[in-house]
Amino acid sequence: MKRLLPPLIPFVVITLGLEFVVRSGLVAGYLVPAPSAVFRALVDSRDELAAAMAKTSAAALIGFALSTLVGISFAVLLSSSRAIQRAFYPYAVFFQTVPIIAIAPLLVIWFGYGMKTVIASAFVVSIFPVIANTLTGLLSTDPALRDLFRLYGASPGVTLVKLRFPAALPQILTGLRVASGLAVIGAIVGEFIGGAGLGSVVDIARTQQRVDKVFAAVLLASALGLALFGLINLVSALTLRRWHASEAGQ
Amino acid sequence: MNRREFVSASAALLAACGKPAPQQKTLRLALNWKPDPQFGGFYAAPYQKHGLEVEILPGGAGTPTVQMIGAGSAEYGVISGDELVVARARGNDVVALFAVFQNCPQGIMTHASRHVASIGDVVKEGTLAIQRGLPYARILEKKYGFDHVKVVPSPGGDISAFLRDDKFAQQCFVMSEPLQARHAGVEVRVFPVADLGYNPYTTVLATSGVQLKSDPDHAKVIVAAVREGWRTYLDDPLSTNTRMHELNPSMDAATFAEVAEAQKPFIEQGELGAMTAERWTTLIGQLRDLGDIPQGLPAQDCFRNL
Repeated sequence: MKRLLPPLIPFVVITLGLEFVVRSGLVAGYLVPAPSAVFRALVDSRDELAAAMAKTSAAALIGFALSTLVGISFAVLLSSSRAIQRAFYPYAVFFQTVPIIAIAPLLVIWFGYGMKTVIASAFVVSIFPVIANTLTGLLSTDPALRDLFRLYGASPGVTLVKLRFPAALPQILTGLRVASGLAVIGAIVGEFIGGAGLGSVVDIARTQQRVDKVFAAVLLASALGLALFGLINLVSALTLRRWHASEAGQ
Repeated sequence: MNRREFVSASAALLAACGKPAPQQKTLRLALNWKPDPQFGGFYAAPYQKHGLEVEILPGGAGTPTVQMIGAGSAEYGVISGDELVVARARGNDVVALFAVFQNCPQGIMTHASRHVASIGDVVKEGTLAIQRGLPYARILEKKYGFDHVKVVPSPGGDISAFLRDDKFAQQCFVMSEPLQARHAGVEVRVFPVADLGYNPYTTVLATSGVQLKSDPDHAKVIVAAVREGWRTYLDDPLSTNTRMHELNPSMDAATFAEVAEAQKPFIEQGELGAMTAERWTTLIGQLRDLGDIPQGLPAQDCFRNL
């Protein structure tokens, strides 16, 4: 309860404030929906929203999982030699700067309408923070410990698995936290173009001037982002609590 | 509002904001797409001759012009008739002043090689790219069902997916995408949405009820300028097309000329821009039947012929 209270207070204040602002006519309901209208949209369209949420969740999760897998592997490869890093890291930055909305139509051409395009979109926007953070983590191993491993004749593979990777975990997890939110955004942008899911609900509701339903769908998207974020925090707590200051304190 | 009320209201307004009379300030006219022939008359209009300073704000996919008008971030805007009705039902007091397209120029484009006989046959197989939120998409669905066709989001004006797939149909402006497809060597068949009995006014100049009440004469002036602009554009679109092409180089000069010619029959029907209560009543009834608006609303509140 003590942990729930701090985030609950702003929630209640903002919700009541918005409700008041709209009900009193200070802001028109067709510009900003009253929280009660959003809640009603959530209830009225629950079946449609639940089905859309399931699709978006699946695509965002798969895209995120791919980002994690490919991003970490790529970073390990980059960290293996200065030359490789110089050769390929600039191209990783491409993913950071790519305006997803511009390439999303191309994704449709490459992957067709539907889930594959949505997953690709989630993957493209979420991979860079995984690469960047993992690489930083892998390159900042304590030199004293690295010397120790070398002194004992540990192979590069063993050094990676037993020392460099575990030591990089806090940074990797930070990358994953950033990537989790981006994967949800990527999935929804992909759905604008590729169809299905919450992105499609937002698109349709926007055409119908249903701001309440747009916000209902956006709320569900944030819930999805929060859930992913929570999942990573759980992994973080489980893996870091015995040795890293960021988790040990709790 | 009678005249005395109007004068005192205007005086109060002027006193309150201490700005020059509204006629002298720059007015914003928000478009819902990039500069192209469907807005030709707005670009050709001699605003200055009528003592107006108008800034045209080009839009893009999803520019919420109807909300912008309601929120006052643009004094005037271009919207579609159905958007206006739905907005009014949601409490956004928007009023139509000038309807450019008397017949709805939207349609469904298919490959001619499919030999489909009617709009109903289009949804029997293949893929249909359409904005599902649009009323005509739902009328189509209600009438024929979407069980046998894969419905995907509309790619805007992009026809690349269409060109690659014979079984791909997409929503279009009947004088725009079909032209592009023919240029690309694909024969097409187009079914106007009006075939479904759905024919709202489109590319409609609208303003907010507040703006209209605060200065009805002003709306009259802008409508006169716009009507003159459309007359000019219909008679000789070349110089305006050149200007719009500079603003929107993605459409080539030849296409500008072709579209300007092709859209004429949709625009020139009696007095330019004029609307009737019957047409609005029909539209309101259709949107009510679709459930887009909870109940009917008075047609005469939707528009003013100035």
